[in-house]
Amino acid sequence: MAPPQDKRPDDQKRDPSGMRSAATLLAIPSLLIISPLVGFFLGDFGDKRFHTSPWLALTGLALGFVAGGREVWIIYKKYLETQER
Amino acid sequence: MGLEFLARVRKTSTWLGGVMALMAATYVSPLLGLAFAAGALWSLVNLQLIEQLVVSLTGTARGTSAGTRTSGFALLGMLFLFASGAVLLVLLSPEALVAGFLLPLAVIVVKAGTKILLGSRAWRGIANNRWRAGIAALALATVTWFALGALTNAGGQTPEHSAPTSEHAQTAPPEGAPGEAGSGAAGTATPEAHGDATAEPHGEASEEKEEGFTNVIALLAGAFPHAAWAHFLEHYEVLVFSLFIALLLLYVAFVASRNPQLVPSGLQNGVEMVVEGLSGFFISIIGPKHGPRFVPFLGTLFIYILSMNLFGLIPFMHSPTASLNVTVALALTVFVYVQFIGFKELGPIGWLDHMLGSPRDLTGWLLAPLMLPIHILGELAKPISLSCRLFGNIFGEDMLLVAFASLGVTMLPFQQLPFGIPMHALFFPLALLGSALQAMVFTVLTSIYILLMLPHEHHDEHGHEAGAQHAH
Repeated sequence: MAPPQDKRPDDQKRDPSGMRSAATLLAIPSLLIISPLVGFFLGDFGDKRFHTSPWLALTGLALGFVAGGREVWIIYKKYLETQER
Repeated sequence: MGLEFLARVRKTSTWLGGVMALMAATYVSPLLGLAFAAGALWSLVNLQLIEQLVVSLTGTARGTSAGTRTSGFALLGMLFLFASGAVLLVLLSPEALVAGFLLPLAVIVVKAGTKILLGSRAWRGIANNRWRAGIAALALATVTWFALGALTNAGGQTPEHSAPTSEHAQTAPPEGAPGEAGSGAAGTATPEAHGDATAEPHGEASEEKEEGFTNVIALLAGAFPHAAWAHFLEHYEVLVFSLFIALLLLYVAFVASRNPQLVPSGLQNGVEMVVEGLSGFFISIIGPKHGPRFVPFLGTLFIYILSMNLFGLIPFMHSPTASLNVTVALALTVFVYVQFIGFKELGPIGWLDHMLGSPRDLTGWLLAPLMLPIHILGELAKPISLSCRLFGNIFGEDMLLVAFASLGVTMLPFQQLPFGIPMHALFFPLALLGSALQAMVFTVLTSIYILLMLPHEHHDEHGHEAGAQHAH
């Protein structure tokens, strides 16, 4: 008689508790929120110093959004690579 | 009744005395709790010395030099014990000391009574029939309920509980009104009182004090309000707990690795299992080439954060990770370490190339001035997001437990009882899961940040060494 086949998906086999997946996914919201905030506050600091309000704050905010999205993309890509390993 | 019975009495009295002393320290006064604990300890030591004396005089060692020596030490110990008892009676509350002293004796009486009861025919008659057992349990619960109600009503008549509150209510308005902002009196407080610039910080401070469960350091600070060391401990409470946990882990690691056996057992077995599991886990993320180097750092980080998260669930302890100072320190350590790895592995030029987004063509170089601030922002967001997430989750967990513990106390109709329904126990599984998950989130992200700073292992495996020296 053939042994019973494990029909779980690959992700579940490598990460039986699901903790790694949960940990990686939990990072995404905070990175998306924190990055624009960091950009905004740094820009605001620059605005106060160079009297350029509100341009540096707005630029920082926009760059922060991009940075947050990029970080999330990189982390998720890396996570998928480690899952395939 | 043998020595085994006395050992059981000692164990029960130690636990019961500890819990009762902590309850007295929390709900009545810290000094009273201390006096109760001292009385119980005194009584336990006294019992131990009496036992030693009796054993040495009547046991197999009777007449030998060892027996004589033991009895001599026991008598000398008793002399010191009685002298210390006299000092304690002068310094602490005699009533609480006597209550503590009587505790082990009460335990002996209750244990002996239980032994007689459990062996009796009447008990067997009740316990062997489910209906009789159910009726007996119901009767006991009813009697307890009414007895507690009667006791509370009797206690409520005495001025002990009501006097301080009424006194506080009378004296509070001139200087303490803003301090009651968190209580029910907030609604009646005048706007002037809230707007008072000098009084406002007092209100905030009192609100801060009321956050979370009471811990041992707060109890010590309450027991010794004028001692400089108590203020020092209270001021650096979070650091003291962090250091204590670190030392505890150090001790466990030392004990587990002190005498390593080829076939491990006990603590060594448990620690090896944890280390092996963590090693495999982090190597599976970072890869077999670079992974083993970072397992000590990542494993320590995970165990330390998990211990700190869970420490708040132990009664009279506190989670250091519920303070932003600790989580920021941890995240900064990770940030500096990750940047150091980047510098070390890629070199200064490689690190700069990594920060510019590794431009390799004209489009890459044109985008480099845009990629640099984006990359810097991304790097800065990492420690902030790590610290805020850990702090927010553990602080939230603690607050949830506090809120439900308070609800459990207020649910009981006997409001002056020093205990309530442990409602917060329902959330213990959630807190355990949350603590483990947050420790995991922190370390998995750290390992991913380290991985992003390392040269590509994938290229190395295929022999393209030249193309390997750039990170993501």
